[in-house]
Amino acid sequence: MKILVTVKPVADPNTPPAAWIESEQGKSGSVNYVANYFDLIAVEQAIQFKDMGVDDICIVSVTDESKMAQVRSAIAMGANRATLIDPEDRKLGAYQLAAAIAHVVKKEQPAFVLMGKQATDDDASQVGPILAGILGWPQATFVSQIEFNDDKSRVKVGRETDEGVEVLDVKLPAVITCDLRLNEPRYATLPNLIKSKKAPMERLKFSELGIDENPRVTVEGYSLPKGRSGETKMVADASELVATLKEMKLVD
Amino acid sequence: MKILVVAEMQLGKLKPSNRATIRMAQDLAAQNGGTFSMMLVGHQIGDAASELNNFGAETLYVIDAPAFEHYLADTLTDAISKLVKEYGFDRVLGGEATTARDFFPRLAGALDAGMCRGVCGLTQVDGSTCYQRPVFSGMALRTERIHTPIHLITVDPTAMGEPDAGGAGEVVPFDAGVSANEGVQFVELQRAASERPDLSVADRVVGAGRGIKSADYLDTIGKLADKLGAAVGATRAVVDAGWLPNEFQVGQTGKAIAPKLYIAIGISGAVQHAAGIRGAKTIVAINKDAEAPIFKIADIGLVADLFDVVPQLIENL
Ligand SMILES: Cc1cc2nc3c(=O)[nH]c(=O)nc-3n(C[C@H](O)[C@H](O)[C@H](O)COP(=O)(O)OP(=O)(O)OC[C@H]3O[C@@H](n4cnc5c(N)ncnc54)[C@H](O)[C@@H]3O)c2cc1C
Repeated sequence: MKILVTVKPVADPNTPPAAWIESEQGKSGSVNYVANYFDLIAVEQAIQFKDMGVDDICIVSVTDESKMAQVRSAIAMGANRATLIDPEDRKLGAYQLAAAIAHVVKKEQPAFVLMGKQATDDDASQVGPILAGILGWPQATFVSQIEFNDDKSRVKVGRETDEGVEVLDVKLPAVITCDLRLNEPRYATLPNLIKSKKAPMERLKFSELGIDENPRVTVEGYSLPKGRSGETKMVADASELVATLKEMKLVD
Repeated sequence: MKILVVAEMQLGKLKPSNRATIRMAQDLAAQNGGTFSMMLVGHQIGDAASELNNFGAETLYVIDAPAFEHYLADTLTDAISKLVKEYGFDRVLGGEATTARDFFPRLAGALDAGMCRGVCGLTQVDGSTCYQRPVFSGMALRTERIHTPIHLITVDPTAMGEPDAGGAGEVVPFDAGVSANEGVQFVELQRAASERPDLSVADRVVGAGRGIKSADYLDTIGKLADKLGAAVGATRAVVDAGWLPNEFQVGQTGKAIAPKLYIAIGISGAVQHAAGIRGAKTIVAINKDAEAPIFKIADIGLVADLFDVVPQLIENL
């Protein structure tokens, strides 16, 4: 059984926001990249499915060569191969990313696609469901539990929603996006990192995929959110806290 | 400009976040001298539809069919997509939530439309309306412009005020032509029963962090919440430990909340947690570590052992 797993290199979430904004605007390159954590959860899940007859895990990433190390670290967790799509210096939006991935899905015809539920830089949470919408496939997002039915034609998933855990029974092929509590991604070991350099790697260019070049959404600018009031009033004990809350009319 | 508000049901009632979405629709309509319409989907939702029809919408489309008894992205997307195409809507608005985060992008794929998630403000750039939204765990704001004829927007419910009351619109039943979908079937919703206010909209929230040390202490946290008429929220650490179910998680990957009062107890204040409480009016932090980052965003701070302070608060409030 073949599974595609998507991986996005993102700025380290601990990057100070001002530095991140600068790098997004192409003003500096001093940002560390990591593989999007939610995507590593997807990779881990694919690897755990190896006992269930999954024997071909293909990582798909839309990225340029400068961020290969992040993709390689994901391959080294235990994937078989990768398809890379070079954006050729374009800033691609969610729709174009999904369209590029859809191109690979149509060619590879996997049993299903596993993705992270969101990228920790854009926080858009869009590429998975857009992909499902483009393909017309069933989708299950924010998944924290997943198991196959007997003939592996469907999966039962638990989704983390505002209301609680929603259990769905989903027909394959489908697009499944992974939430934090699905698993703990393993670390790639050094020998596997070295081996991953030999993993077959297909390289495509965005401009070759026949996708409409016009962006659906563009970025017009950034700002830093207004900080909170700034002042923190320190109180000495519980009774001063209660008095302060009463004074501020926050409690009766 | 033809604006459509996708209003939603939650556990048999209208979702409170519909109100923020309607507010944004009213603002957009006013800026463009136009009107807006709404749609409501579900099964046996007549009463909810009447309750919703009080905000000056031109039309309220009601899709009432057994296929919509439970929320499912696939069927809902088909229904909205049909309505949008049939009536030519070019602005589709919904409330940011795990539902909209699920079906809006699917709609974007189906309609080939640009989308902005969790919009917290409108701004004019070169004479056209652009959308502001938080990115990078809410540590930065980004202004985005949509270039497709149809704009899909989910609205951050904590960022908008209340909608203006208005007359009732014409109620139009709409046959979405969607039947139960074999591809995705609803099995069940696992939800912890709670008598406390709904975390997403509560005026007061008591947040519990790993500092409480064990699930047993949630009884005491609950007593404090009940004294205040507050909801209980939690950090990821608490949810990962299995002390509370996931719907209690506040933060980047949980709920964003905007209570008048948030009391963070034994919470360090990691950026991912802070992302969910930025909209809170007053943040109180109780932590024994004076260096904890939570004190940087707190309005009131108390450096102390929570196991001493919480019982005293219950006693004195
Ligand atoms: C991709 C990703 C997404 C995430 N999303 C979220 C999210 O949505 N929400 C979220 O909350 N987290 C999220 N996290 C996790 C986040 O980074 C933190 O790990 C988490 O918020 C820490 O929770 P905490 O404050 O309860 O625990 P800790 O960071 O362990 O803090 C416990 C605090 O309790 C204090 N304490 C201990 N004992 C006492 C005592 N007796 N009295 C007083 N104080 C005491 C300590 O001083 C400490 O500050 C995410 C992480 C990642 C990587």
